[in-house]
Amino acid sequence: MLKNYFKIAWRNLKKNKGFTAINIIGLSLGIGCFVMISMFVIDELSYDHYHEKANRIYRINSDIVFGGTEMSMAVSSDPMGEALKRDYPEVEEYVRFYASQGAKLIKRGNEYINETAVTHADSTLFKIFTLPAMVGDTKTALNAPNTVVITEAVANRYFGSPELAIGQLLETDDDDGTLYKVTAVIENMPRNSQFNFDFFFSMANVDYDFGNYLSHNFHTYVLLKEETDYKAFNKNFIEIINKYILPQAAQFIQIDNMDEFEKSGNKLEYSLIPLTDIHLYSSRDVELSANGNIQYVYIFSAAALFILLLACINFMNLTTARSSGRAKEVGIRKVLGSEKKALIGQFLTESTLIAILALFMGLLFVWLSLDWFNGISGKEMLMTSLLGPKFLMFIFVLPFVVGGLAGIYPAFFLSSFQPIKVLKGKLSSGNKKNTLRNFLVVFQFATSIILIVGTVVIYKQINHIQNSNLGFNKDQVLVVNNSGLSRKTRESVKNEIEQLIDVKSASFAGFLPVGGSSRSDTTFSTETVMTESNGFNMQYWSVDYDYLETIGMEMKIGRNFSRDFGSDSTSVILNETAVKLTGFENPIGKKLYTTDQNNNLQVSTIIGVVKNFNFASLRENVGALSFKLGNNSWETAYRLGTTEIGGLLSTIENKYKSVAPEMPFKYEFLDEAFDDMYRQERRVGAVALVFSLLAIIIACLGLFGLATYIAEQRTKEIGIRKVLGASVINIVRMLSTDFVKLVMLAFIIATPIAWWFMSQWLQDFAFRINLSWLIFFATGFMALLIALITLSFQAVRSAMANPIKSLKTE
Amino acid sequence: MLLELNNVSRTIKSGNKKITLLDAIDLYVEEGEFISLMGPSGSGKSTLLNCIGMLDDFTDGHYTFLEEPVHDMKSKQRSHLYKEYIGFVFQAYHLIDELTVYENIETPLLYKNVKSSERKALVADILDRFNIVGKKDLFPSQLSGGQQQLVGIARALITKPKLILADEPTGNLNSKQGLEIMELFSELNKEGVTIVQATHSESNAAFGSRIINLLDGKIVSM
Repeated sequence: MLKNYFKIAWRNLKKNKGFTAINIIGLSLGIGCFVMISMFVIDELSYDHYHEKANRIYRINSDIVFGGTEMSMAVSSDPMGEALKRDYPEVEEYVRFYASQGAKLIKRGNEYINETAVTHADSTLFKIFTLPAMVGDTKTALNAPNTVVITEAVANRYFGSPELAIGQLLETDDDDGTLYKVTAVIENMPRNSQFNFDFFFSMANVDYDFGNYLSHNFHTYVLLKEETDYKAFNKNFIEIINKYILPQAAQFIQIDNMDEFEKSGNKLEYSLIPLTDIHLYSSRDVELSANGNIQYVYIFSAAALFILLLACINFMNLTTARSSGRAKEVGIRKVLGSEKKALIGQFLTESTLIAILALFMGLLFVWLSLDWFNGISGKEMLMTSLLGPKFLMFIFVLPFVVGGLAGIYPAFFLSSFQPIKVLKGKLSSGNKKNTLRNFLVVFQFATSIILIVGTVVIYKQINHIQNSNLGFNKDQVLVVNNSGLSRKTRESVKNEIEQLIDVKSASFAGFLPVGGSSRSDTTFSTETVMTESNGFNMQYWSVDYDYLETIGMEMKIGRNFSRDFGSDSTSVILNETAVKLTGFENPIGKKLYTTDQNNNLQVSTIIGVVKNFNFASLRENVGALSFKLGNNSWETAYRLGTTEIGGLLSTIENKYKSVAPEMPFKYEFLDEAFDDMYRQERRVGAVALVFSLLAIIIACLGLFGLATYIAEQRTKEIGIRKVLGASVINIVRMLSTDFVKLVMLAFIIATPIAWWFMSQWLQDFAFRINLSWLIFFATGFMALLIALITLSFQAVRSAMANPIKSLKTE
Repeated sequence: MLLELNNVSRTIKSGNKKITLLDAIDLYVEEGEFISLMGPSGSGKSTLLNCIGMLDDFTDGHYTFLEEPVHDMKSKQRSHLYKEYIGFVFQAYHLIDELTVYENIETPLLYKNVKSSERKALVADILDRFNIVGKKDLFPSQLSGGQQQLVGIARALITKPKLILADEPTGNLNSKQGLEIMELFSELNKEGVTIVQATHSESNAAFGSRIINLLDGKIVSM
């Protein structure tokens, strides 16, 4: 029986090649998209689960509000882990990462390599995380100072093999050449890790003033005993604060108790987050890597499901619209003794067969576009991941689900024909009024319009960010990394390059208003004794005389630092937000107070106010910030006076290479670094673009199929009308009007939904575009135009046909 | 007695009007009969055939098939009954276009869950008997009208029905083809198959052992 079903299904598919193609292409786009997104979602959900103790590992988060500055950090203070382990038996072990340095230069042969996947870690690392050793013993590997554990890839790169690496020394730029002994080589870390280091250096080598509860610089993970409720455990942090942190804080500010501290709008809070939640639910300051976002997982899943649904709708619509073609067969089969059940089975077999064909084609699409998708999603997914048992199962089941979903309605519809009626040809061809079909077409177009509006809004917003007035000029600024160069060399090479005609100005610029740059903040007060009411926190950046000019910032009042004034070492320039925090009406000449490391009072005089500029993401409002004169020569910024970058760049590189041939020449352009901050938005934009294209393509495929069918049905009518004198335009209009109405209805339904979703999305941005009506009208018009073009292919063809031919057939 | 109709009628509603298609018909059909239903268009021939074939229901009266009361049956029992005992032949042949001759003939056996080897034997027999072995892999569109009707009859016979209902079986055929089909019917009838046919043609009707004339849903002569 099944063989018979397949046979007839196959012959039907072959007979109606056009419709089969539309169905299979539509479904394969839907399935391909769905499989791809499933791979994405499964990958996103798999992060950090490979650690054997993953469900017992937690990270300590810190939330601090002080003096108007809010900080949500993925780091905590260095003694925190030890204190928790000492005071609470539920804490089995803890490990800290110190990765604040960012990168190390490591010597290989005669040159230094800039390694970014580096951290210092406690020796307890391997008791908590599952990082299997290939060579060496990880239990003791980081016990002693000057030890390092590396991954297999690094071992191969530096020494040829893990076996050769063991016991070897690695020279780094720490304190001008600290040597570390390789004590173990571990397997490369899986990609789906929330942190991904190649080098784990021993914690003992960290140059840090340990024991400080007030500085937050360590990523601390704790391993809780089985069955510990981490949410309940969070309450213990109040005890920790009272027992350890307040006594230390009292040395710096007048603070009596937590209540008073909180009453003045401040906050100090610690909490645990499960390791496996970090990737999708955490986006704090100083994460170990850019995390994913559960919201996007939801949005992408929903979009993929919708696209699959749109493709299924095509199948439903085309199959039911063309039902008259199958009606006779249904009638005969019933007369020959078929029961309804058997017919439903037959039609479901057909839809499943189509879904199976579509699956293969969909997988082909996935295979062809995987690299590209990896590019825009920032992932490294492999086709082979589909061969895992779970995925194979999923792929095996998928065509049956899709076939069932797309086929169930047509199956019931077709199998319910009465044999007498259809055999006598009484069945109306079902093209006149079909509410369900109209509803489905509206649904398809509404979904497409929502996706298109979403895409347009995302792109407009990204454009808005990239072109909005940032308060500085990000274009044509080259930033060169100076690590590995002596102070003197940095100075001389900078001066030399500044002499080039095409270089307008140069500045040591360790702090830059883009993501990934250094940050430093300090607490100031407007009076000599800091209280909770006159204290406030702001960014405090060391810059040189040429910084403001090089980065392109504007003074609002007062003056820039100047070599003409000897006293500028105690001067400070604020931004507008900082002025607001001080409460000064006329800030120039006013004094600000802070303490240095040794707790000595320092006085600064305000000499100028710089216009607000964005130094964080445009998702946030501009925070308080101040400049002082200092020497932060970690990086040098050059403002270039030409757009002919190529030659100039190599000139500059040669200058650097001539003074430090063994050092890597590491540079970036400020505008690129700025754009990097919005990489996630651009990725979402790209994915949304693809989704909306797919949606509109699938919707149009369906519309094309329906239009073709209806034109076929009405061939005779069209012939008669033409004989009676109807023009081509009359006919095209007649054939298109119904669909145009549906698309317009879809637009009316889609607009408020799209408006709601996109205004929600825009809420994340402090600087955002207005949702203008123009976007909606333009999109609606576009959808209508696309639909019309699709329809006109068919409509014009049938309207142009010679009526004699169509009338002769009867 | 193969079947027995006692005072059966069929009425339908069209708008507010009640239309009587069959009006108080009494009919007895013995096994082995060859009955021709005659009458002008709209006299109720097809309706009567459809109702006897259980594709449609009488709205009134008693219908007994092989001593079983069809009017009291659920649709499932009924479909079981006609699957077992009744074969249909149509004016427009009604072959499934996507199936070959062989497959068309085989289809009723599939619905009766006949085993594959048995199916092959049965289909081969009937192809042989009807002299269409050479056409078994052709599709209906590749056959002439007479050949298609031959396949239609072969398909109706494959399940060895007691009763064949034929609605104008020669209506789409030329006279030579029509004659051949009618000769086939009388041959089948001699072998014991009961046949009820609806027809316009006096000459075709003459092949029957009994002629029943219908007019406006009533039997006017028997």
